[in-house]
Amino acid sequence: MSKLYIDIGSTYFKVSQKGNIEQYFRNFDKNILDDLNSKCSTIVNQYSKEDIHICSSANGGLSTLIVGLTNSFSLKYAINIAFNSGINIIDTVLYSKLESEPVPLEVIDVVIVVGGIDSVEKVFDEKLLNYLEKVNYQNITYVGSAKNRDFLIQNLENIVVLENIISDKLQIQEEALKHYLTDLYQSDIVGKEDIKQLYEITSNQIYSTPYIVNRSLPKINERLDVANPFIVVDIGGATTDIHYSRDLVNDNILTENGYDRLVFKKLGVYKSRESLVHTAKNNEFVFELLEYLNVTENILEEESTKATKTLMQLAIFLVLYKVSKHHGQYVELNLDILNSIVLTGGITKVLTQEEVEDIVLFFYKKILQFHHAPTTLLDSNYEIWTYGI
Amino acid sequence: MKVVTGVVGNDIHVVANRLIDISLEERGFEVFNLGVNTYLEEFMDAVIETDADVLLISSLNGEAEGWCRDLQILKSQYDFKNVTFMIGGNLGVGEMDPEQLVPKFQSYGFDLVFHQVDLNVGLDSLEAFLEAR
Repeated sequence: MSKLYIDIGSTYFKVSQKGNIEQYFRNFDKNILDDLNSKCSTIVNQYSKEDIHICSSANGGLSTLIVGLTNSFSLKYAINIAFNSGINIIDTVLYSKLESEPVPLEVIDVVIVVGGIDSVEKVFDEKLLNYLEKVNYQNITYVGSAKNRDFLIQNLENIVVLENIISDKLQIQEEALKHYLTDLYQSDIVGKEDIKQLYEITSNQIYSTPYIVNRSLPKINERLDVANPFIVVDIGGATTDIHYSRDLVNDNILTENGYDRLVFKKLGVYKSRESLVHTAKNNEFVFELLEYLNVTENILEEESTKATKTLMQLAIFLVLYKVSKHHGQYVELNLDILNSIVLTGGITKVLTQEEVEDIVLFFYKKILQFHHAPTTLLDSNYEIWTYGI
Repeated sequence: MKVVTGVVGNDIHVVANRLIDISLEERGFEVFNLGVNTYLEEFMDAVIETDADVLLISSLNGEAEGWCRDLQILKSQYDFKNVTFMIGGNLGVGEMDPEQLVPKFQSYGFDLVFHQVDLNVGLDSLEAFLEAR
């Protein structure tokens, strides 16, 4: 018996069976299950609960606060694992600066405390407890030195202690924390009424879509015409995700998967439109880009198909710029050796292949001074997620 | 005793790095080798994460002078008072006066500085320094 795959997005839901994918606009007057049943109950009813697999990016996801000992190891490793687990909202605090850092005002879904290899003693003390007393959090996990576990267990109620994410050779160990965060995401969405109802049609775990996309990456070049190293850029309504091959990064992280994820939570075309425009206006190359596209700055304030297209093109440019060597952020990708760019998400419904190629070529010529650009591929069928579910 | 080691900056002399790793292990140290192309901040962070006793930086292409000048600033941001800071290799570009180089690196914050000195001589000195400490 074949399987039925369903992806619940913030604007569409997609239903895939036997390699055929159908997409439906969400009707926000109905809950997800009713909406799904009204549009494709005939398909859904053909499958047993065991054969229906669902992923969702519709319910926001978890907010995370990471307290770590150093930028190069504990914070870096924890951020990497959190992004790969499908988490979008991540704040970090360096333990040595804990007392001078402002305490987050909003409720944090999960606090992650990390630092030290297993043999290191007394990494965390009263300073951590005093800080955490002021933080409004729902879950807390400790993934640091084994010799600090007892202190934290004794002093922090409900703390979940997991395997240290830093090995004795200072390498990343991601599995335990990744499972914990993925399970937490599941319990979070199960608690949400809309998603809870979906368990009426499936007996399988509902995963976050970014986690599933990340899992599908090793299979992409078996199914699509892309060459390694490649990146997958998912430009959606609220955020922009970039999934990249680790061949493009020169750092100290070695993961088994070989692909990582980075989220720009303020680069979306609908819900985060204002911050996208703000970022664009502050970029020194954007006015040249607008001229290249034959539009004026006023387009950024307009509500039209042309304006949406321009914003999408700006989003592609800004994402590439933010991961390039010209912008020292969390991750710098070696775009010089990039062979393929795969675009997925809402952007594939708005831009044509030529419009995407145009903007990528502009970036490569203007910023990297190249005469050619990587090949681009639009996942117009929006099928990449089905490889990983 | 724990030692964090590696090659600083844009320097890919991996053979020398491996020899240092092996020599340190032979002498009974627990080694955390960050390899080549390592930034100063990563060295310091590795010392913190491992609670290392020694940071041994090597450099062969002579660029350590530029890469290590912020050591004092980084040292001031954390309690490193029980850590021994050592650097060795080829520490200058062109024809440098070794008598000027050693004090310069000491002023950067290194306890032990070895410019074009045999590896075993340097490690003997390290052991003697740790014993005296």
